[in-house]
Amino acid sequence: MSKRIMRTPPEGEFVARPDDSLIICRCEEITRGEIRRAIYDGMRTMNEIKRYLRVGMGLCQGQTCNRLVQGIMAKELGLDPVEVDIPLSRSPARPIPMSVYANDGVTKEKGERKYE
Amino acid sequence: MRIQNHPILKTFEKGRLVTFEYDGDTLQGFEGEPIAMALRANGVMIHRYTSKQAEPRGVFCAIGRCTDCVMIVDGKPNVRTCVVPLQEGMKIKTQYGIAKKEKDESA
Amino acid sequence: MKRYEVIVIGAGPAGLSAAIEAASHGMQVVVFDENARPGGQLFKQIHKFFGSKEHKAKERGFHIGEKLLKEAQALGVEVVLQATVLGIFDGKEISVMIKDRLEHYRANDLIIATGASENSVPFPGWTLPGVIGAGAAQTMMNIHGLKPGNRVLMVGSGNVGLVVGYQLLQAGCQLAAVIDVTSRIGGYGVHAAKVARTGVPFLMSHTIKEACGTTRVEGATIIQVDGHWQPVPGSEKHLEVDTICLAVGLSPMSQLARMSHCWMENNSGRGGMVPICNEYGETSLPGVYAVGDVAGIEEASSAMIQGRVAGAAVARARGYLGEAEFKDRYGDYHSSLGQLREGMFGHKNKGRTDLTHTEEGYALSRTLLARGYLAEEELAGYSGVCSGEKRKNGVFPIIECTQNIPCNPCRDACKQGCIKVSGKITNLPVVDESVSCTGCGMCVVSCPGQAIFLVDESYAPGYAAVSIPYEFYPLPEVGARGSALDRSGAVVGEAEVIGVKITRAMDETAVLTMKVPLDCSMKARFFKPL
Repeated sequence: MSKRIMRTPPEGEFVARPDDSLIICRCEEITRGEIRRAIYDGMRTMNEIKRYLRVGMGLCQGQTCNRLVQGIMAKELGLDPVEVDIPLSRSPARPIPMSVYANDGVTKEKGERKYE
Repeated sequence: MRIQNHPILKTFEKGRLVTFEYDGDTLQGFEGEPIAMALRANGVMIHRYTSKQAEPRGVFCAIGRCTDCVMIVDGKPNVRTCVVPLQEGMKIKTQYGIAKKEKDESA
Repeated sequence: MKRYEVIVIGAGPAGLSAAIEAASHGMQVVVFDENARPGGQLFKQIHKFFGSKEHKAKERGFHIGEKLLKEAQALGVEVVLQATVLGIFDGKEISVMIKDRLEHYRANDLIIATGASENSVPFPGWTLPGVIGAGAAQTMMNIHGLKPGNRVLMVGSGNVGLVVGYQLLQAGCQLAAVIDVTSRIGGYGVHAAKVARTGVPFLMSHTIKEACGTTRVEGATIIQVDGHWQPVPGSEKHLEVDTICLAVGLSPMSQLARMSHCWMENNSGRGGMVPICNEYGETSLPGVYAVGDVAGIEEASSAMIQGRVAGAAVARARGYLGEAEFKDRYGDYHSSLGQLREGMFGHKNKGRTDLTHTEEGYALSRTLLARGYLAEEELAGYSGVCSGEKRKNGVFPIIECTQNIPCNPCRDACKQGCIKVSGKITNLPVVDESVSCTGCGMCVVSCPGQAIFLVDESYAPGYAAVSIPYEFYPLPEVGARGSALDRSGAVVGEAEVIGVKITRAMDETAVLTMKVPLDCSMKARFFKPL
């Protein structure tokens, strides 16, 4: 990303809000308050928030919460949601058993594992 | 909860009626329908409890995206019950947390 | 690693159409889809589609899905199901999980048609069992034959919310209300109207405050919002519901597209992060295409045309389709797509809330936008509503179509030529009062918006006959008594069923004719059995 990231903190102090206990990331049970706090802690991109809080790193891989986190960040930072880039996308796009990867390129013959 | 007559779709093609185990109880459902549908037809809404807040969760997206409906199926945790077809004799358990834990262990 | 000429990711309307087009020119095509059934969302769509004949208008979505599958099969398109594409590498190489194995494929051309995912809205209690997406409700009732709940609150008044709300009624559920944080209903007025006349209240400028219950949804608290979408204290209402259905928009499912490293843009008009495509759906990577909702949220009809265009472009690029023939085809598809994008819900007007008049200059119904139904006095001037004089002399259609929607099956439905949609496909229908109506009812059943009624004020002294489209079970029998409901679902008088017509050509939409007091002829628009 060539985009410059402004690291100046949002306006003023972090102020707790009544809806801070609301769960945003359903898989990892991360709340709106934790996400808001992370922004005040200096997180400026969704990639950073993801690594900081594990938001979007659960079983569903951000299917439900990506857009919600994007909205929260935009609101806190005074941006249009489209200005907040969603996290990098990498394989695997869906949750899979590790055994599937482990067996990649392996063929079984007479009980023996052979690599292609 | 099953729709007997539908004005547009009329009836629904279903597999044969089979029995399966849910937390020790014996329930019935149709072979090949998603496990979650068989559970819902039996009135089961809670599929798992979350690891941090121990909150109940059930079907949310019903198409295998949100993973809120995961349960322990035949000993395997994190099975998306809304897309995995029901088979006769399946052992389905409520999941606590994200691993293969039994209820008393997580308490 | 296996190689294919064309790999399509996603067997929904866009992907299947792309595969069909490419295969029809002799290309070798495979389609991977992660679901157990092909067709994407088409098999959940049990309503009749809008558009014109070439867009398969007035056919139900699941029938269109069946046709697409047949067509793909006949052309030798390989459709691999439960095949989850996990990654795109180096532009056109993909890894796919099929059963418990990882397979790797390479394509000469790759068409990404991964569709969209549903948006959510968080509120206290939104993780409780019983809060579901609108897509989940559709999957449960239209694929698996299960009611999602007994009494449902629909959050969102876009077309998805309206269509799914209607489908919930058809499945035998009660709909407590349709709410939306916006002040105007977002979807087609006709979709709202067919829900409203069954008595479902529309509460605009309302949001959900809380889902009540400890282990499952036992109710919902909704609250009014002001012009800045801020809750108005003290305006809470509690609704007795066991299910809360969220229909708050769609986002392009573009993870795979992003993995290909094609150029992307965050485009709110298209619903979020989308690949930047040229007019043929080709991304910044030569030979990588994106079609359907993943390239921008629209609907199934336009997704199918986009798929066709990309399929034709691939065939041209690889020499399977000559330049001249490609130009012909593209011209047809382009104009067909253009038609669907016309009108007040089209691309140019997306999200606009300042429209006050139709393109013809009729004032838009404010009641329709605010409460989901037309007020009788607003209806009078519309071109589809015949004069009072005409109604006195026999049966005649009343077309309550008041928004510029791309749709014209009513024109072809009338063998007498009484209904005209001239010029643009989005123009409002005009009834020709010089033509006589036989009362056959084909216009009633062919209107995807269920906005056409037949009114006969000469039926009997003091009584009128009103024919309505009816798609609910049980179908009332002739002689059944009940109440005539007006457009808002309020009882306006007694009604007796005097005719029930359903033939194969009507495709499960019955025409129910009821006898109502004469002064109810322009009010009665639904029948509620005793």
